This record gives sequence, structure tokens and C-alpha cells, in this order.
Amino acid sequence: MIGNDIVDLALARKESNWKRNRFLDKIFTKEEQWLITESGNPEIMVWNLWSRKEAAYKIYNRQTGIRGYFPIQIVCLYESSTFGTVSINGNTYYTQTTISKDMIHTISVTKREYFNRIKFLNHKAVIVKINGIPFLIENQNTAAKPVSISHHGRFCERITL
Amino acid sequence: MNKQETIEKLKVIVKPYIKDQEAFDTLTEDTDFINNLKINSANLVDVILDIEEEFNIEIDNPSMERMLDVKSAVEIIETKLAEK
Repeated sequence: MIGNDIVDLALARKESNWKRNRFLDKIFTKEEQWLITESGNPEIMVWNLWSRKEAAYKIYNRQTGIRGYFPIQIVCLYESSTFGTVSINGNTYYTQTTISKDMIHTISVTKREYFNRIKFLNHKAVIVKINGIPFLIENQNTAAKPVSISHHGRFCERITL
Repeated sequence: MNKQETIEKLKVIVKPYIKDQEAFDTLTEDTDFINNLKINSANLVDVILDIEEEFNIEIDNPSMERMLDVKSAVEIIETKLAEK
């Protein structure tokens, strides 16, 4: 399974004040807060870790049907600015993050080898929602494939395996 | 404070973060912060911090976990106020 999450940095700057008192405490573990404080660019680290949590939560939500707001239980193990793992209540997900000047994008997968199989869908892809969860319809004869959609500000990404 | 007053205060708090005005105008107890009001998930923490400041309560992690719709938010606020 896969998930993905995009942060439009310009919009994040406008919408969120991560320096707000207690903001980081509600979202990030002590170790994650240490990564942010020690980082040369704390803002990028905040959204890098946040997009990992969101991307991993999307898989967790699909797998378990559990919906909730528990960012602090979604724990990032940071390997590099690109790679890491995220654990949620005993489940482990692998993450790959791309950072550019304007955005941060994280893809999460349940198996590392899936990173080589990610397909980015264009606007022509036919996507239907079943119980609020998006699926790709390739043709009449094949089963609907799970899709992960992320949209924030100027950016939208739709991926499948 | 009765439930309706709590909802009114809550409406003032969430207003800056909503992305769906129609869902906000027709807000009920069943309104979902993310699915209906389209509040960005990173802004949900701002809603929680604003609630803590406005009502002078502390929203612990188990409460925060359920903070997804108006009904749960009102329940949590009322419980925390009663504990004071």
C-alpha cells in the first residue's frame, strides 16, 4: 500500500505558525523536536517530518480503518532528508521525501521495494471514491487499484503502484 | 455554559481555518472539521491550541485523538470544564 503528502511551502508559511507556543509539543515527539531544533533549516524539517507523518497515516487509516488525530503517536525515524521509517502503533512504513524550493513531497509504502514501482497519474486518470477512499479504474476488466491523492495549495499529486 | 453557547464559541475559533463556507454556515454537531469544513490537518492543532486558550483547559492526547468533529469537541470541552 502507498500514501503521499504534499506541503506547499508558501501556503504553509501563510497558514501555519509552527513557532507558536506548544505547537511543536502537540505534534512532534521529543526526538523529532530535537531534529527540528538542531536542523540548519528548522522550517523545512518541520514540514519534512509532518509530510512523513501524514503520508504514513494515510496507509494506516486504509489498513486499519482507524481515523483520529494523534500526530504524536506517529513516530518518525529519520535516516536522511530523503529516507526514513515511520511507526504507528506497531506498524512500520517506509518514506521517501523530495524537497524543492517550493514544496515538500513524501511518499510512504509498506515495503521498501515498492518505491521502484510508484506511478504518478496524470489528469486523465479515472478515479472513483469508495467510502471516501480513492481508487483508479484502469479498464472494465481489472480490479480498482488504490490511489493516494494529496493536494495542498499549488500542488497536487496522485500516485498508485 | 450550555451546549449551544459552547458551539457558538467553537464556531468563532474554527472560522479562520475553514475552507468550506457553506459547511460552516450550516454547521451542526455532526459537522466534521476535516471532511466538511476542510480544515487543513496541520491547522487542526491550531484549533486545539485556540480551544485550550479560550476555555483555559488542557486537551490531553487521548482527547486530541477524538477531536475530529463538533460533537466530540463540545464533549471534550464540557468534560474538561467540569473537571476544573
